[in-house]
Amino acid sequence: MNSPVKPALILAAVGAAVILVPLAAPPYYVTLMLPFMAYGVVLLGFNLLFGYTGLVSFGHALFIGIGAYTGAVLTTRFGIRHMEVILLAAAVAAAVAAAPVGALCVRYVKIYFGMLTLAFGMVFYTFLLKFYRLTGGDEGMRMLRPYLLGSEWAGFNKTAYLVGPYYYFSLAVLVVATLLMWRIVSSPFGLCLRTIRDNPLKAESLGIGVSRYRWHAFMISAVYAAVGGALLAPPIGNVDPTLVYWTHSGNVVFMVLLGGFASFFGPLLGAFVFIFLQDTVMSVFPYWRLVFGAVLAFLVICAPGGLMGLFARRPVPLEPERG
Amino acid sequence: MTANLVNVIMGGVFHAAILFLVAAGLQLVFGVQKIFNLACGSFYALGAYSGISAVSYFTGHGGSPALFIVPLALGGLAVGLVGLVVERGLLRFVYDRDETFQLLLTFALVLMLEDVIRLTWGTAPASTGGLYLAYGQARILGSTVPVYNLIVIAASVAIALGMSYLLGRTAFGRIIRAAADNREMAEALGVDMRSVYARVFTLGTMLGTLGGALVIPATAAMSEMGVELIVEAFAVVVIGGLGSMRGAFVGALVVGVLRSIAISVYPELEMLLIYLIVIAVLLWRPRGLFGAAAA
Amino acid sequence: MILEAQDLRQRYGAYVALDGISLTIRENEFVSIIGPNGAGKSTLINVLTGALPPTEGRVRFKGRDIGGIGPVALTRLGMARSFQLVQIFPDLTVLETLEAAVVSRLGRGLRLFASLRGDRAMRAEALEVAELFGLATRAHVPARVLPQGDKKLLDVASAFTLRPEIILLDEPTSGVSTADKHAVMEILVAAARRIGLRSIIQVEHDMDIVFGYSDRIIALHQGRVLADATPDAIRADARVVDTVIGRGAR
Repeated sequence: MNSPVKPALILAAVGAAVILVPLAAPPYYVTLMLPFMAYGVVLLGFNLLFGYTGLVSFGHALFIGIGAYTGAVLTTRFGIRHMEVILLAAAVAAAVAAAPVGALCVRYVKIYFGMLTLAFGMVFYTFLLKFYRLTGGDEGMRMLRPYLLGSEWAGFNKTAYLVGPYYYFSLAVLVVATLLMWRIVSSPFGLCLRTIRDNPLKAESLGIGVSRYRWHAFMISAVYAAVGGALLAPPIGNVDPTLVYWTHSGNVVFMVLLGGFASFFGPLLGAFVFIFLQDTVMSVFPYWRLVFGAVLAFLVICAPGGLMGLFARRPVPLEPERG
Repeated sequence: MTANLVNVIMGGVFHAAILFLVAAGLQLVFGVQKIFNLACGSFYALGAYSGISAVSYFTGHGGSPALFIVPLALGGLAVGLVGLVVERGLLRFVYDRDETFQLLLTFALVLMLEDVIRLTWGTAPASTGGLYLAYGQARILGSTVPVYNLIVIAASVAIALGMSYLLGRTAFGRIIRAAADNREMAEALGVDMRSVYARVFTLGTMLGTLGGALVIPATAAMSEMGVELIVEAFAVVVIGGLGSMRGAFVGALVVGVLRSIAISVYPELEMLLIYLIVIAVLLWRPRGLFGAAAA
Repeated sequence: MILEAQDLRQRYGAYVALDGISLTIRENEFVSIIGPNGAGKSTLINVLTGALPPTEGRVRFKGRDIGGIGPVALTRLGMARSFQLVQIFPDLTVLETLEAAVVSRLGRGLRLFASLRGDRAMRAEALEVAELFGLATRAHVPARVLPQGDKKLLDVASAFTLRPEIILLDEPTSGVSTADKHAVMEILVAAARRIGLRSIIQVEHDMDIVFGYSDRIIALHQGRVLADATPDAIRADARVVDTVIGRGAR
């Protein structure tokens, strides 16, 4: 049944479940949903670059870190506690950083693009680590509880705050981010990105400037990464340079591959499965990397389309369904 | 003053000697199989821990500490054979895939090896203790340099020459260069690619594990050493040029010595300087010093 | 509206690919460029389409120097091309490919939030071109799945969608079976007329096609123009017949 009803039903069911989780599930699992939602935002942006434009960045953690550190810096150094401001500032900071980095990187493809982004990521990591007077070095910086919709929610203790107001705030951000990204990929811009992914030579011959479009995609994905990064920080209460290490970038790629990069919702599924699987494995067996490495190897060799590729008999399309 | 400078440079050259081994392995694999092996650092770590175990076993069973470098090197080399298992068991399934997926598979290896090492040797740092100075120290231009360092530098140069001979004058070397240049043609000429790939990858791995083993007396083995080294190795091959042995040699010298100088002058700079050079190289001369024309 | 090449020379190190080529393409002309392999046709195309700056000499389009300006700038000026080795977007449908060309032409590529599906005018235009090229029945088929001949047509159709004033077709019937070649050419010519294309330049090996459709033929040999004349004059030119056409041809 390929009618539009089935996906819509699934979406509605998932949506209802997500909204009800804080009311029905134990707080531990509810707080696990928070990094899922944060990474969901990150991955939506990352897949614009990967699935839709064909560029694999191995330095995306750079922008996640920018977002996280923006939150930490604003709350602890400038006394700015409003999450809305933090998110906006994170987006702007990412755009400012992504403009030159992107301009330099998008002229290269495949492995060179991967290497360049990895290098930039590690430059930022080294900066965060070494300039400890500014950044707190390897211990990082604290992030204070941000105000949501103007309120500190002082009556809520940490857990209540996280499973209540913060959960729904994150969810709202994720929903907005998803809707926005859906618009973007269904737009003429999204179509142009796919032409570049499929055949840059032909795209140029049709007047579509490859580097220019890649740069825009890079900027958008960086902004998404920073917003997600900013969302990541409050539950942990602390940000540190490991957020920016190249293996963290590798995990981001892993998550997208896991969910399926050829589908719009694949990245979200990937984030969800990664977070929960990691938690499950870690509680049983400390060597979660071994398991995950094996999963990744399996994915690459046998199931490069990820979970979405396995589920759908006909792969869920990247672009909006046509009747 | 000179003593200090000599110290810094010798330290840098020692580090370069180790980096060369790992980078040579990386270049070999990239040159022939066109795969950038992110797990080369993990093999390095594997070699380090294996080397320590080999030495402990040796000295624990009455071996003379003066000979410790033998089990160290042998331990490092032996564990490199795991490269054969990796190549036959995993890597060969992705030779016809997109570069991205190949890269991701090596990343999977990074993850797995990291935990395999933790599983086998635990998370506490390990070392060979005082054996570092078992060969004494030498006086060079007013500063003292452990003789061990000189031995490793000499060994590394010997291996570089050996690689040069292998690639330039042996039949296997010719096959490697042909395969690196044009795989289809080499196959058409009757070269058994499967065997070449297996041997090249194993050789590459063994170079990396040997490097890891040999560095150990000078530092301690730690669980992060694998993921940390890859960025340095990566800097070496970018500066030297992807796929070039000469590039590995010169690149290793550049990175090793520069890093040493940077640490002594301004510790915060350390790797920052190297990464900035990497970025500069990628932007202005992507093929590095000796590499083929870039993508 | 003229495409003009003056004394083009192109060197790759010691190898001389173009050795002083001058030509002019006028409005409402169908010009074929012929020549044996190694004559410099590919290099000439790349220079004429601004992909390669000439070592010496000038290329001018509508009076503007277009040496090395690149394909993107070139399409803005009104020139498009198709490729010898067919170039398509494997995962995009026929319709999406054509819509991309429309988007590019209308300069709407950076509209991030506009709905593609909702733009009926663009969709209609893409469908119209698809129909012109006989691809309308396969509008929603991913290009990767199309038979080779349809891929070729799509490559050309997408270039046509840019509504260029002049188009350069690189072996438009290569890979197409002899029986279908004329059908393809008829489609091309009809489509050109329909969308108001002014001039067509093609590089072709099939002499039937060349003589059947050209207003003028330019024969290249070893990087130089051997002859530049009407089909009848070319047929009578012994040098061209010997080096390019071959004595067996009609």
